[in-house]
Amino acid sequence: MTHPSIFWYTLLWLILWGAIGALITPRVYARKDKFTHQTALLGSFIGAALGPIGLILLWIFTPQLTAKWLLGSGLIALFWLALAFAKAAPENLCVTSGSFVATQIANGLVIGSIYGLMALGLTLIFSILGIVSFAHGEFYMLGGMVTYYFTQVWFPDLSPLLGVAAAALFTFLLGALFELLFLRPMITGQIERPGEYAILVTFGLAFFLQYTTLSLVGASPKKVPRFFDYPKITVPSGTGEIIKITPGNLTFFDTISISSPRFTALIIALILLFALLYFLYKTWTGKALRAVSQDRQAAAVTGINPKRMNTLAFALGGMLAGISGASLVQVFSWVPWVGIPASSRSFVIIVLGGMGSLPGAFIGGLILGVVEALGAGCVPDPHRAAAYLPAYGMIILVLVLLLKPTGLFGREL
Amino acid sequence: MRKNIRTLKLLTWILGTGFLILLPFLIPTRMHVAVIALYYAILASSWALLAGYGGQFSFAHMAFAGIGAYTAGLIGKFIRITSAPTGACTEFSLGNWWLVIQDTASPTCLESAKATMPLGTLIIKLPPWLDITMGILVGGLFGLLIGALVLRLRRTYLALFTIAFAEILRTVINAERDVTGGPGGLKVAPLFPNGASIGNHTFSPADKLPSYFVMLALFLLVMALMYWLAGSRFGLFIRSIREDEEAAASLGVDVVRYKILLFTVTAMIAAAAGGVYAHFVRVIAPNMMVIKEMSIVIAMAVIGGMESLLGAAIGAILIEFALEQLRSNITVGPFTLNMADWRLVVFGGLLMLTLRFWGNGLIYPIIQRITRGGVGEETVAKRLQQPAANDSSSLPDAEGPESVP
Repeated sequence: MTHPSIFWYTLLWLILWGAIGALITPRVYARKDKFTHQTALLGSFIGAALGPIGLILLWIFTPQLTAKWLLGSGLIALFWLALAFAKAAPENLCVTSGSFVATQIANGLVIGSIYGLMALGLTLIFSILGIVSFAHGEFYMLGGMVTYYFTQVWFPDLSPLLGVAAAALFTFLLGALFELLFLRPMITGQIERPGEYAILVTFGLAFFLQYTTLSLVGASPKKVPRFFDYPKITVPSGTGEIIKITPGNLTFFDTISISSPRFTALIIALILLFALLYFLYKTWTGKALRAVSQDRQAAAVTGINPKRMNTLAFALGGMLAGISGASLVQVFSWVPWVGIPASSRSFVIIVLGGMGSLPGAFIGGLILGVVEALGAGCVPDPHRAAAYLPAYGMIILVLVLLLKPTGLFGREL
Repeated sequence: MRKNIRTLKLLTWILGTGFLILLPFLIPTRMHVAVIALYYAILASSWALLAGYGGQFSFAHMAFAGIGAYTAGLIGKFIRITSAPTGACTEFSLGNWWLVIQDTASPTCLESAKATMPLGTLIIKLPPWLDITMGILVGGLFGLLIGALVLRLRRTYLALFTIAFAEILRTVINAERDVTGGPGGLKVAPLFPNGASIGNHTFSPADKLPSYFVMLALFLLVMALMYWLAGSRFGLFIRSIREDEEAAASLGVDVVRYKILLFTVTAMIAAAAGGVYAHFVRVIAPNMMVIKEMSIVIAMAVIGGMESLLGAAIGAILIEFALEQLRSNITVGPFTLNMADWRLVVFGGLLMLTLRFWGNGLIYPIIQRITRGGVGEETVAKRLQQPAANDSSSLPDAEGPESVP
């Protein structure tokens, strides 16, 4: 950055007025006898977007909160931040090159859709069992590991898609087994404090799976070559290509470049997403699952066995994480602790999207993917950019929990 | 009967303390492990106070220990006291002395100022006890902040928030190499920079024994403090908050105040342990705050008995020694088990099994058996099993666990 102070003072200004808005606005609304629901969120957004003037106007008129206000002020605040960054670092690639930004965003969306798929599993578990599985990242890691061993060591001649299927089967069975052995006693009343027990026992499972894998396969990184080579296509040929495909890379409109393993992962994620939606909305079992998530007792009255649905939900959740891992094992190199950041990302996504909300999880995944891609691409010092990568999502998590714990699409608490 | 139990309890305490004081003479070669074991014991039992007594399942405990360690380390790295002004560094006057900060913008300012300063100028580091105290205060401030921020969050949300806080802190320390040394670590002065002498025996700064007694003193102090807290109104109130926050509030417990106080106190204890640990190991890295370390502390507390401070501490000490003992490889026929990894597998499995089958932990029931002197068997549960035997004496409202709706 050539003028870092511009950016930092702008950021400080936004945070200062955001915090003042978050702290004072609910009190103003309460004093005027108005509905204070989510006014802290509105106050912080307006404060960040319009500063003291906006806040004073807000406190004078105290309008009823609508989504329009939130979205508008949020976009304005983001605009200020982007403007400050552009002024502070005019030489940065994110400011000078539109195609770089577009590529970053496209790659963020691609990776984000896989994060979303994984978080979908976690949110499914939460909506049925009411717990967050802290071992979700380990299912992701195991999915990748099984795919590696299946396609590279045991059956190198078979199609890699069978490896993905094997990973899905393995994580499904593992999830079901764990649910039966350790989570079933929670609902049959054998555990004293189920809420705390669930946190600790899944945490213990994460530790156990991680070190079992480490002991069995070692710490050296595993690599899987890309599943598919795409045929070489250029449409239309010559200048002004719309799509240009080479075995390792896809380029759209001459600007957006996505590597082909990531594209394969995106396709797998999308197929899985539609299969899941079909399962949840069109089949009897899927409807039963959703029924249990809405009202356990009522579902039980209509003849659904909630216990079996618990097992199914945990197994399905683990399977979704496993498939995410299986489709990303060709993109990243795989080590036994690759699940730790993956878990953290899933937590961020389900909190951002709203705990238990399926569309929220997918959209949250896309948002996180874009934020991480831009963060990694735009922070000037490459060493710092890489080191701060885990923090972006965590900052989102903290902000959402403080300002709007129900997330974007969550049910009211 | 009551008096007997009290004597028995007192006797156990005296025996336990005596054992820990005499430990260096029993295993003089394993002092390093002993200090680390006490460090984990402090962390596990203060986490037991926070989570087992107060029901606040925080995952930021290692982060507080890290705050204590890094505050102590950074003060040692950047702050000096001199008897004359340097004129080059950022400095504050304290009467005849100057507090000098060698910030990253001018890391060698003190070196270059030495030439111009008058002869015989003293340049001293802050003593370890002072920077550990500063670490405790900073840890307490963070505890206060986190405690205030998480007031509305429960269970899973609290766990996620504290994980996020710990991760952000670790990431910042990892990334800001210029200040903290990054993943390579930060050098910290030894606990006794000039060595220590007990009687007419002098220990060099590298000797473990003085550090052991410092950590032991901290451990005993912390245990006494926590037992006093747990036995006082504070302990009663935080347990009532754990059981039912609304009910506690309706009976007049100031929930906000006690929750924040609980976070502050346990954060300060963790920071104290972290500060002494930093001076003992002498190189601290952000790895001391990773989720694995937090898992180990949690597992120690759970296996020892989460609702017992002593159980968690004993669990931590036993497990740390066991983990160190199990490092050597085991060969069974053609297979060699790399125990450096497998011991943690066993440990993780033990954690899950303990949670599932022995909710009170493994050590706590034993402690209860010893200290209760047989009284524990005469519980409500036993009475309910034989309602005919003492029908008149059983309480009317003791009708088993309340039914789950």
